Amino acid sequence: MASPSISAGFRRALSGGPTVVAVLLFVLMFGIYAERTSAATTVFGITNLLNDAIVLAIAAAGVTLVVLTGEFDLSGVGVIAITNCVVATISTAGSYGWLSSLAVVLAIGAGVGLINGLLVAGLGLQSLAVTIGTMICCEGAALLILSAPGGEVADAITNGLTGDLFNVVPVAAVILAGLCAVWLVFKRTRLGIAIFAIGADASAARLSGVNERRTRLAAFLIAGLCYAAAGYMLSAQTGTGDPRANDSLLLFMYASVAIGGTSLMGGRGGVVGSIVGAGILTVMQKMLFALGVAEFYTDVFNGVIMIVALLIGNVSAALAQQMRRRAA
Amino acid sequence: MSETSVLDAPVAVRRRWLSPEMAPVLGVFVCTVLLMISIRFVSPGAVLLAQVSSILVSAIFLAVASFGQGLTILLGGIDLSIGVVMGLGGMMISGLTNGTNDALIWALPATLAFCAGIGLVNGIGIALGGIPPFIMTLASATSFFGLGLGFTGGAAQAPVAPALETLMSARALGVPWPIWLLVGFAVIAIAFQNGSVTGRKLYALGSSPGAARVLGLPAAALTITAYTLSGLCAGIAGLLIAGYSSAATLNMGNPFLLPTIAAVVIGGARVTGGRGIYLGTFAGALFLSTLETMITVLSLSQGLRDLIQGAIIIFALIAQNSRAGRNPT
Repeated sequence: MASPSISAGFRRALSGGPTVVAVLLFVLMFGIYAERTSAATTVFGITNLLNDAIVLAIAAAGVTLVVLTGEFDLSGVGVIAITNCVVATISTAGSYGWLSSLAVVLAIGAGVGLINGLLVAGLGLQSLAVTIGTMICCEGAALLILSAPGGEVADAITNGLTGDLFNVVPVAAVILAGLCAVWLVFKRTRLGIAIFAIGADASAARLSGVNERRTRLAAFLIAGLCYAAAGYMLSAQTGTGDPRANDSLLLFMYASVAIGGTSLMGGRGGVVGSIVGAGILTVMQKMLFALGVAEFYTDVFNGVIMIVALLIGNVSAALAQQMRRRAA
Repeated sequence: MSETSVLDAPVAVRRRWLSPEMAPVLGVFVCTVLLMISIRFVSPGAVLLAQVSSILVSAIFLAVASFGQGLTILLGGIDLSIGVVMGLGGMMISGLTNGTNDALIWALPATLAFCAGIGLVNGIGIALGGIPPFIMTLASATSFFGLGLGFTGGAAQAPVAPALETLMSARALGVPWPIWLLVGFAVIAIAFQNGSVTGRKLYALGSSPGAARVLGLPAAALTITAYTLSGLCAGIAGLLIAGYSSAATLNMGNPFLLPTIAAVVIGGARVTGGRGIYLGTFAGALFLSTLETMITVLSLSQGLRDLIQGAIIIFALIAQNSRAGRNPT
């Protein structure tokens, strides 16, 4: 006879399926990567890894907020493309270019988020279609700013955001820790609770006094800010501007969210999971590279892992539900 | 007096039956014609008939691919793999035929089966795996694109079968073959979507999945059918582009992906599913092809093109919303 506490723990582990599987996957892939690459576990190697992961992590954090409300937002890649081009164009002007360009890109991100939010929450349009529209518009605007890859990012940005504090703590780690801390506070605020509530059951949330429109609008707005911050980080990594955002970035953003255990139906999950998800995907790229897998086959892996992650999530959710029913 | 009211009644009924679906379609057709005429003012040298003919020929790719997109949107889904499937279809037919017509007889069905197979995988993942459509199709597109790149290196080494090139350039009764194909495809598509039993079941499933399930409609089979047809249509469009441009590249379908969504939305289909007719999508495809020609004539930059295309999608959504009235949800 299994004791109730064991079966309860087992059930909890299963219902948190994606996260448990995610951590195991992370350990396995990091092991392979570290075994193949000698510098992987040095400060340099870890900084490098975090720098590769942080753009995706911040963008995925933004997506997570929108997904938690039960909507989709595809405009992230477009915002990242615009902000990258803007930073590469204006950040070298003057000694405070890094600051003014940060202000400008945050304003752009907030603006795009506001437009998405107004169209989705204000007019009641379907979020997927609307954000496909804004995504194309943003990519167009990025091309108007910078018609070909080029431009230059201020040294203050590239050096300031990609190095180590006191030669031991990667700046990226500090930013990610800060992001997690902000999230842990945010999800207990009124707005944070409202976001979970309307994602879980919009009409129940409305009946209990949650302002649904304002909450959705806020989620899109904050997401826009996250994409802008991600674009700023991307500029710091690459040191240059590219109007064509990475093709796989959109898929990766949603893959991070899904692997991190956030339900794509809304109401369940969180930013910390998505950051872990982004870490896993980055380690996976590193591992595939370390194993010498040709670049086009990594595309195959990327697509497959996305589907597998979601299938595991769905199966474990169904299993957990079945066990709960049997226990009842 | 009473006779006129009796005569009026059926007309009024018919008009009400027609208007919600047909009004946007007619609007788009009118806009298309106006746009075609205005091209004349922008480039006075162009001959209107030749211009219209070339627009119609180039519209066939979008019109065919959008049919599949329309079916998935009818179910409240979306297919983001269309561009990649088009590219793969074109690459496969040129690789298999290797510039000769002999292999066409088996290469054609093999290519179409492969493209439909990608759609089948999408449909299974969505219907049985419970994966959101845009993620499933995006993920499978990424994977299959990777496979395609691995096998071919991105561009076909072999030329397309001459028969396909002839098909896209020859004329019958003074009208280019692609226009005949376009009309024929539209007739079949309308007959399937708005005339067949399967089509009606798709509408039922799209407008109310819960009710459709209660009625005993095979939801999974219908979903898989829609995505398989979408893959098939994308494959056909890929073959036609390969014939048209006489050389295939893996990327050649990508510029068509977002226009297929735009064409369906412009045509009045509801993105949450259950509403929209192929004639609307067809009108949307013609409109976008005309706009593309206009943009080319004006030689606008790619950035402006993207901006215009994105704005069209958003405006079409807003227009649709104001027609349908405020949605309480």
